[in-house]
Formats: sequence, structure tokens, C-alpha cells
Amino acid sequence: MDIFHDNPMLQGVRQMLGAFAKSAIRPIAAKHDQEESMPWGLMKQAQGFGLTQTSLIDGRKKVTGVDEDGDPDKPKIGARLAVAGAEELAYGCAGICLAIGGSGLAASPVARMGTDEQKAEFRRLLSGLDDQGRIKVAAMALSEPATGSDISGLTTSARPDGEYWIIRGSKQWITNGQSASVYVVWAQTDERAGRAGVRGFLVARDTPGLVPGKKETKLGIRASETAQVHFEDVRVHQDMMLGIGRPADGKIATGGLADTKKMLDSTRPVVAAQAVGIARAAYDFLLDRVRGGSLHGTPLASHQHIMFELAEMNMEITASRMLAHRAAWMADHHLDNVAEASMAKAHAARTAQWVTTRAMVLLGEEALEPGHPVEKWYRDAKIYDIFEGTGQIQRRIIAKQLTGQNPT
Amino acid sequence: MDFALDAEQDLIVQTVRRFAERDLRGWAADADRAGVPPERLTAVGSELGFFVDAVPAEADGLLEGTYSHLVRALRGFELGRGCPALAALLETNVEPALAIGRWGSQAAKQAVFGSLAAGGLATLAHDSRGALEIQAEGDDLRVSGKLGPLPALAAASHVLVVANGAVFVISTDDLARDAFTPSGWRAARWATARLDAHRVPADFVLARADAARSASAEVLAWARVSLAARAAGAATVAMELADAYAKERVQFGQPIATFESLIRLRDDALTMAGAARLCALHAAWAIDRGLPEAGDLASRARVIAGDAVARATIDAVQIFGGYGFVNDYPVEKLMRDARAFEALHGDERLGRVLGQKAALTGET
Repeated sequence: MDIFHDNPMLQGVRQMLGAFAKSAIRPIAAKHDQEESMPWGLMKQAQGFGLTQTSLIDGRKKVTGVDEDGDPDKPKIGARLAVAGAEELAYGCAGICLAIGGSGLAASPVARMGTDEQKAEFRRLLSGLDDQGRIKVAAMALSEPATGSDISGLTTSARPDGEYWIIRGSKQWITNGQSASVYVVWAQTDERAGRAGVRGFLVARDTPGLVPGKKETKLGIRASETAQVHFEDVRVHQDMMLGIGRPADGKIATGGLADTKKMLDSTRPVVAAQAVGIARAAYDFLLDRVRGGSLHGTPLASHQHIMFELAEMNMEITASRMLAHRAAWMADHHLDNVAEASMAKAHAARTAQWVTTRAMVLLGEEALEPGHPVEKWYRDAKIYDIFEGTGQIQRRIIAKQLTGQNPT
Repeated sequence: MDFALDAEQDLIVQTVRRFAERDLRGWAADADRAGVPPERLTAVGSELGFFVDAVPAEADGLLEGTYSHLVRALRGFELGRGCPALAALLETNVEPALAIGRWGSQAAKQAVFGSLAAGGLATLAHDSRGALEIQAEGDDLRVSGKLGPLPALAAASHVLVVANGAVFVISTDDLARDAFTPSGWRAARWATARLDAHRVPADFVLARADAARSASAEVLAWARVSLAARAAGAATVAMELADAYAKERVQFGQPIATFESLIRLRDDALTMAGAARLCALHAAWAIDRGLPEAGDLASRARVIAGDAVARATIDAVQIFGGYGFVNDYPVEKLMRDARAFEALHGDERLGRVLGQKAALTGET
């Protein structure tokens, strides 16, 4: 395994996005947190780094200069690049990182299951600027009010009507839910088929019946928009159903929930890396304070009580990062990383919560001041134990790998 | 030993519980959004005896005889179950009033009790890191440095300052304060204040040198017990809310309350919250009896209560899942509120470690 040394490409991504996070993201993080607003200008700026809304379906070429769509059996580097980049962006601000990458949630199933025509349509719908002069973004509409962890219980329905599907239902906790120009919505096409009946559809924002709902006021990641979306008899042409026209090769399901689960296996190391970025941000802030601080006339750094806690934080952050990179390395080498991806996400989420909580305690009253970055990171960290599969779901996945059973 | 409440204690607990569940919890979300307490808080709180319960009756307060920290801890737990921010305001006058009643000059009593009896607020500042510069100028003191962030400071008429080598009272009349609304306890009227060679008249210095160390320890014991009791209440209500939600929420064909992992989350959190409540009550009981270990018990109570409220609120949000992360449900606010319990007056564990190290090595 070569995970202990970054290759030059990974180092380059780290340096480039790390500098971008410090110089461009961090200075505006508190403002967007307080205003609960998307950083549209910065999102446009990020496109200059290849962080486009369609980069997933365009391949990694824009970021790496290497076209990875060549030999499918060769090891790749895309997963590790994504992990390295995600940590740096979240180090700047997790909410802004999610705002920059939010469209990737929708682009991922299009890249995985979409036909060339669907990919072209996805690109078309995201090209140019919206009517407010902002870059266009996409939304993945999967979760529903009654289905958080259990995505097999979706109630949003799609019924056939000639060459069209009629989609009806409501979605909850949708990233870019209000602002998206295109949605990838998941709906049940055949209740009798259960999970196998759930399919994804590409739906343009201006389709009649698509109604963005309430924007949520959240504990953290406030620079990333989260909203409800309602589908009131939305007509979608059958060509916009994901997974059509793809040969069944016995390995990959064609457009159903199985593919979304595989998609989560690929995104979980990236999500883990974002949690690592938050934890590292809080750790670095605390370390900086300790280096220059004193306590009743003694240097803070001379106290075991403080320094051992920092050492513990360093250990946990390093372990989380290595778990994320291992899961990404396995993905790049086409190895099954289901358990490893879950381990990475669960461990990193726990680390981010613990580090930010302890950092606040050690900073004392200072951390209660408005706009304090560590307090923001404390609030940001919590979502990493909830979205993309809760900590309990990750442990359930790991446990199932051990015995084949789902413990309850 | 008897863990049962007597009739008077039970009456107080039942009354405060009704107030917390009906009024405080009803006001909490709006007060959090607005960043200010409801106007009715003062009137309703006063009717129930808050704000002047530690002010002597002869100074137009309600205190006759000795103050009961045990009763305060019992009611603090209930207040914490209502709303931590509003609870902080309801309890803010106790330490200043008791300290001035105990060590204050006539001038200090007249100024502070007069203000509190007229509906004013006071607050406690603890210089936990020794950051204040305090110099004697004759019998007066000159103080420089920063106070806070502190709840109630934006609205307070006086601040009781507990520092290394001095306990004193500052009037906020000529104090430069910066009011702000933080993320947690948003309605608690927070502010910081900058002292620039601020003169504290001798009449407002309550204790100096060794007497100050002893007075500081007593005042902080009162404050720690109160914080611990409220934190235990907040931890408990977070899990009560999560428990109710988990019984309703069905995933994978069963109420999520029936998943063993979530049972354990709730059970561990409630075990810690229950232990924290008992530690707070034990410390309060020891304070009321003047036992020498009271200060240490109060500190221990705050340690475990801080852990309990951190764990319970984070895990309550976890049990609520995506709904816990949005402010439609009260656990999101409780997770924000939890931080102040541990951050106010500094890191309790650090204070304990330094105190014990000093005792062992002879260093101060």
C-alpha cells in the first residue's frame, strides 16, 4: 500500500486547495454561517480549480490533467484526490466545502448510471448562469420525511403515463434544494418490487409541479443550503430515467437503489475526510492558542493536562485520515471497501465531534464569543455523524460484514 | 440518609417544574430566535421568588435565615429542563446577593440590594486564568483586563468578580460593555466588558488575600452546584425528548427506540445525568452544612454534569437524526446551549488538576 506517502499529484492538490481554503474560504466562513447564505461568488471562483458542478461526469481530467476514463482495470487516483481535496476544503469551512461540492451528490448517479444523452442533458442544465447571475447547481433528492436512514421505504412515486413518468411526493434535507437547476429524484416505480422498483430521474428545475419547499435553519454547515422539495405530479420523459440502456453485466444494478448504495461507498471516504478537516481546524486553532498562551503565569504548553489532550487529538485525527485514505486507496484499486468506507466515516465523525467539543472546553469562555470559529466547527461537526448514513448505520454495515447478519 | 424530599421541598420542585415545563419551555424557542428573554420572565419569575430569593428580607428580599443550596439545586435541575438560557437569568442574582450579604460593606449592600430589590440583575465573573491585573491603590483596587463573556452582563447593574487574591463588586454604570448574542443561551443577555485601570472603592472589596481565596472557593462552590444542577436538567430533558421521538420514529420496520444501540445511548446518557444530579444535590447538602469537602464536591459535580450535558445533547441530536440538526426540534438548541455549562468559569478539570498539583508541590 502506498498510502503513507503522497504522490506529487496528491501533494499538489493538498497545497493548492489548502491555500485556497486559507486565503479564500476561511475569511468568509463566519459571514456565511451567520447569514446562512451560499457563497455564490466563491463557488464560481472554485470552478477555476476544476471544482465544477459536473466534474464527476467529466472525469478527473480537469483536476489532474489525466484522463482516467481509460483502462478500467488500472488503478486510479480519483478517490484519493477527492479525499485529499475534501479535507483541505473542509479545513476552510465544511459548509462552504459542501456548497462547492453539493452538486456532486447529484452528478454521482448520473456519472454512474447515466446514458451519454442523460449526461449531456445534465451538463446542459448546469451550463451558464441562472436568472440571478449565479452558477447553476444540482440537487440529489433521495431522503424523505419518513425515510432518513431507511431509504428502502421511499414513498415518492413514479407512475407511467405513455412516454412519461408522473412523479409525486416530497423530499427532505435536500442539499441545494431551493437553488438547484436540475434534480436527480428517486421514486418508487413499482411498489411490489420493493427496493428494485426505486429509480432515479433527471428533472429540470422549471418542470411544472416541481416546488422547492422550506429552507431549513440548521445547527451547522449553514453555508450549504438544505431544503424540502415537493413533486406535485411532475411529468418526466422516460429517457430521463437513470439506468436505462445500460447492459446488465451481473455486477452493477441498472439504476436502482443498489447503485445508490454503491455510490455511498464511494462518497463516504470523502465525507470522512471533510470531518478530518473540521477536526484539524479546531486542533490547529487550539494548538496556536496554547503556543502563545499562559495560565496563571505559566506557559499553557507546559501543562500535561492540555498537551496530552492535544496529543490525543493529533492521534485521533491522524487515525481518521489514514482510515479515509485506506478506503479511498481501495476504491482506486477496485477493491471492495464497504466496511472500510464505513469505518472511515464513523471514526472521523466521532473524532470531529470529540475534538471540537474538547477544544471548546479547553478554550473556556473565549469560545462562547459570537463568531468564534471553534464554536462553529463544533456545530458543523455533528452532521458528519448523521448524513450519508448515521454512525449507527455505519456500525451496522461494519457488523454485517463480520457475520452476514444485520443486528438490531 | 434520606433521599426523599420533605413537603416544602416537594412543593418547590412541583411548582418550578410546572413553571419550567409550561412557561420556560413554551418561551424557549422564540427567546432563542430573538436572542432576548420574554418580557414576562421578570414578572413571572419574581412571582415565584426568583431574583431576590438570596437578598435578605430586611433589604426587601425574600431571604430569612440561611439560604438553602439544596433547594436551589433541586429547582435548578427543573429550570435546566425548561430552558438553560432563561434559567441562567433566573439564577444570576444568587451569587452576588449571597456574597454581599456575607462579606459586603453597608455601602455595597445598599447599592447592590437596592438595585436587585428594584428588579435589577447582577452576575458573577470568575477570573479562572488569572488574566486580570489587580493592583492596590491605598484601600481601593485598580483592575485592568477583560470580563466575560458573561450571561446577564448586558443587563446587570453589578458584577461580582472572583479573582486570585481579591473578591470585589463592580458597578456597571461606568463600564464599557459589548453586548452580543452567542450561539448558546442566546436569550441570556451576554456581554463582555473591558476594564482599564478601573477603580474599585474599598467599600466594594469584599475580601483580599487569604480571605479572598476562601471567599472565592465558597462563591465558586455555589455557582458550580447551580451550573451542575441545571446541566443535569438539560441533559435529562434532551434524552426525554429523544426518547419520545424514538418511540414514534419507525425505520427498517420498527420504532428506532427498539434498536439496542439507541437504547444504550439513551440509557448511558440518563445514567450520567442522574449521577450528575445526585452529585449536585450532595454538594449542595454539604455546602448547607458547611462541610470542608463541599467545594471539592461542587467541583466534581460540575465535571460530571458537564460531561453529562455534552453527551446527552449530542446523542439526542443523533437520535433525532436529520430532524435533530434543524431548529424545528428543541434538541438542536440544547446542543448549542450545552457548551456554556462547561465553558463558563473555565475548564473545571483544569482547575482541579492545578489545584491538586499545587497542594502536592507547594506551588501556588
